Amino acid sequence: MKRFKPRIKIGPTSVTILFFVLSLAVIPRLLPDNYWQSIFSITGVYVMLALGLNIVAGFTGLLDLSYIAFFGIGGYTFAFLCSDHFGIHLPFLLALPICALTAMVSGFLLGLTSIRLKGDYLAIVTLAFAQIFKLLLLNLDAPINITGGVNGIYAFDQVTLLFINIVTPENYSVLIWTCALLVFLVSFRLKASRIGRGWNAIREDELAANAIGINTTRMKLYSFATGAMIAGFSGAVFVSFQDSVFPNNFDFQQLVIVYCMVIIGGLGNIYGVIAGAVVLSILPEILREYGGLRMMIYGVALVSIMALRPQGLFSAIPGFTKLVKRPDKDETGELRASTDLYYSQDKDETDVKRYTKQAIPLLEIQNLTLNFGGLTAVDKLDFCLHKNEILSIIGPNGAGKSTLFNIISGIYQSDQGKVIYKDLDISAYKPHRVAKAGIARTFQNLRLFNELSVIDNIKISRFCRTKAFFFSAIFNLNLNKTEEKETHETAKKILKMFGRRLTGYRYDQKVSQLSYANRRRVEIARAMATGPEILLLDEPSAGMNPQETGEITEFIKELRDRFGYTILVIEHKLNLVKAVSDRVIVMDHGEKICEGSYDDVAKNPMVIEAYLGKKGKSGNQTNS
Amino acid sequence: MEDIFGQLSQQAINGITIGGVYALIAIGYTMVYGVLSMLNFAHGELYMIGGFTGWWVLQIFSINHVPVMNAALLISLMIVLSMAVSALLGLAIERIAYRPLRKAPRMNLLLSSLGVSIFIQNFILYFQGAKVKVFHISHLIPEGIRTFHVGGVVISFMRIIVILACFFLMVILTLIIKKTNIGKSIRATAQDIEAAAFMGIDTDKIIVIVFLIGSALGGAAGILVSLLFTQVDYYVGFQAGLKGFTAAVLGGIGSIPGAMAGGLLLGICEAMAVTFFPSAYKDVVAFAILIAVLIFRPQGLMGERIREKV
Repeated sequence: MKRFKPRIKIGPTSVTILFFVLSLAVIPRLLPDNYWQSIFSITGVYVMLALGLNIVAGFTGLLDLSYIAFFGIGGYTFAFLCSDHFGIHLPFLLALPICALTAMVSGFLLGLTSIRLKGDYLAIVTLAFAQIFKLLLLNLDAPINITGGVNGIYAFDQVTLLFINIVTPENYSVLIWTCALLVFLVSFRLKASRIGRGWNAIREDELAANAIGINTTRMKLYSFATGAMIAGFSGAVFVSFQDSVFPNNFDFQQLVIVYCMVIIGGLGNIYGVIAGAVVLSILPEILREYGGLRMMIYGVALVSIMALRPQGLFSAIPGFTKLVKRPDKDETGELRASTDLYYSQDKDETDVKRYTKQAIPLLEIQNLTLNFGGLTAVDKLDFCLHKNEILSIIGPNGAGKSTLFNIISGIYQSDQGKVIYKDLDISAYKPHRVAKAGIARTFQNLRLFNELSVIDNIKISRFCRTKAFFFSAIFNLNLNKTEEKETHETAKKILKMFGRRLTGYRYDQKVSQLSYANRRRVEIARAMATGPEILLLDEPSAGMNPQETGEITEFIKELRDRFGYTILVIEHKLNLVKAVSDRVIVMDHGEKICEGSYDDVAKNPMVIEAYLGKKGKSGNQTNS
Repeated sequence: MEDIFGQLSQQAINGITIGGVYALIAIGYTMVYGVLSMLNFAHGELYMIGGFTGWWVLQIFSINHVPVMNAALLISLMIVLSMAVSALLGLAIERIAYRPLRKAPRMNLLLSSLGVSIFIQNFILYFQGAKVKVFHISHLIPEGIRTFHVGGVVISFMRIIVILACFFLMVILTLIIKKTNIGKSIRATAQDIEAAAFMGIDTDKIIVIVFLIGSALGGAAGILVSLLFTQVDYYVGFQAGLKGFTAAVLGGIGSIPGAMAGGLLLGICEAMAVTFFPSAYKDVVAFAILIAVLIFRPQGLMGERIREKV
């Protein structure tokens, strides 16, 4: 399928670039007076600040309330380095990166202490940090004068760039908007990279992100530090422009203003955030007579946007968001059948290699035990999964099947016992290391990244198999290019395995638009994309109708027969279990009560008792 | 040496007073967190509104700073009305800002509550100004009993009222939670909101009641502190909110006895810190405690560790 691509697309990107060109070359010359010139410069600072916050709060979903403190750290560092205050006079181009780095390191250190905390706690700790920071700014003028207290620090060195003195407001707006353009490019590149996808995954579902191989703690820390760095950078530029720095530049109100910009623009939406920053910087100047109402309006805006349009105001403009509807016609121009059920799977019969169970143990569970308080969820479990085997685990609800999966995948730590994968003891591994080692799982209750597209859901899984880091991603080096290509192709290849259900226009659909059965398929595809050897499938057919169940049964078999996966599957539908399993393990009350072929297991009296209850007893005991 | 001892006991009294107030604020946080698992950023503003309501009542019922009615009656009226106004405001906030977001991502709820907080603060700033409002209570308390001297420690009459009121409210709350049907429903809802709904508890009603109680206590805390320090301004809620939250975390968020203990402990720690550090850094002590607790014992003193459901 080839699509014609025009060389210049009219979309948000080109509009934004045009906007930056205008901001740099045209607008500074048109502005009537110095007053508007400085408003325009401040707007540029806000654009940078908002873009930085967008990385932390928008991409990664961390409610960072200390963001403004990093702005301050950048600003004060600049004041220390480029003024008579300490008598240090560094050139602007040297001071700028130092300020950004100082803020980044502070962000990193604060992150180290608090990033493990969940949402609300993180918000409060960062808020407390911002308060401490401001208290220090106000009080560190005695006994030694470090921050200048309430009066701040003023009169900085004149900025000289490439032998040009930056003096006039016009010079400054060009300087500031160049910096803003830089920040825009960085956040644009990051968003499109594996790093950006990793952050998005954390925002959508942290546990699922961890389970497909993303070291969530570390990625959150990076996000925090990146945001802090951009804030520090903007801080340095800002105080240089203001030629002074005060504690009041960095108070809570400023933070709320920047949050409003990001939220009005739409969390995570780069173009929207730029628009939000511009609007909220210019509008208050036009409406100056209502200045007293400004913060009140911001408060109302926060509440009403969260209630009515959490995706931001700018998401309605075409091109800002991708919402792909199912087209009426397919690629050949023919009308589509009313349902996708009739698409047959593309079978490639030239592929002759078939896999069958081998006698090589791949995953060994030894004496595994986990207690929840008084309840023993998994009790001295022992079993072995062989290479290319399909092993089913059945048992009544509450038997400990999903708990077993959670232990294997590293979400729970067992109290006793070991999980050995190919001579490697993975019992103490965190989920992302288990995924990287080669064991991928699906979740019983579906934990997809609902607000992301189908293909992005799959691409995220390639995170643990790719390496491109910040530098490579920002400058789009060869490593990043090849990996991106590989990621895209692998994602497509895996989605194609499901026939045409998840291909074509579906690539760009949000997962939340899909049917339940299709979501189950995406969840399996996502697990496959991590490049595992073992797949742990937790009730893959839950919520599917008989026809779909039949199809998924075939597919599970194909996964092993054609693609050579080793599969451990939890399932309640016994016809599926019967059709796919080499062996079956029956669990009840955390214990293995029976193991063997499906037919043996089905005849076992203990299994019948576990499912139907003991003869002669009133009621059954299947639910525990 | 004796001087240090005297100072410490004086600070202990101060600590208990302010700690009781922190406890009242913390209860609001902890109860809301219990049923909704959300952090109510706007809670501090209810405290501020409590203080302002008290001031308005005092303005209405006094002419040239002389109260037009019995002093004891006036003080009670101030406290009761503060609680009522804060409680109603809490209800309105729940209805407008939180209920529509019950199923939304957590961050949206937090941002919404941040918005409420900003709005209330700036509403008061706009209509009441930034100037500190002073409580002229000299006519409320008879000359002879304004201060008491107990072994070198000075205790003001207001301080005693504050301590008594805090403990009275806490006892009442404990009785409600422990003995009444509503208390039982609140505890059930806090433990598992879905299961509680299945058992026939109207959880929406319980959430409303929780907001009612928490906000009323926040308002009470606001008026009590304002009476103690005889002033209130639009910005007090922010700091008080942070302190109350610290107390709630210290005690173990979700636990009401924890919030009470956490409040007292925080108050005493802060008061003691003032003896050793410059008072400008008093808040740093509280926040350092908060950060330390969250890092080393996030379940707090009395909370339980919760395993995330998968």
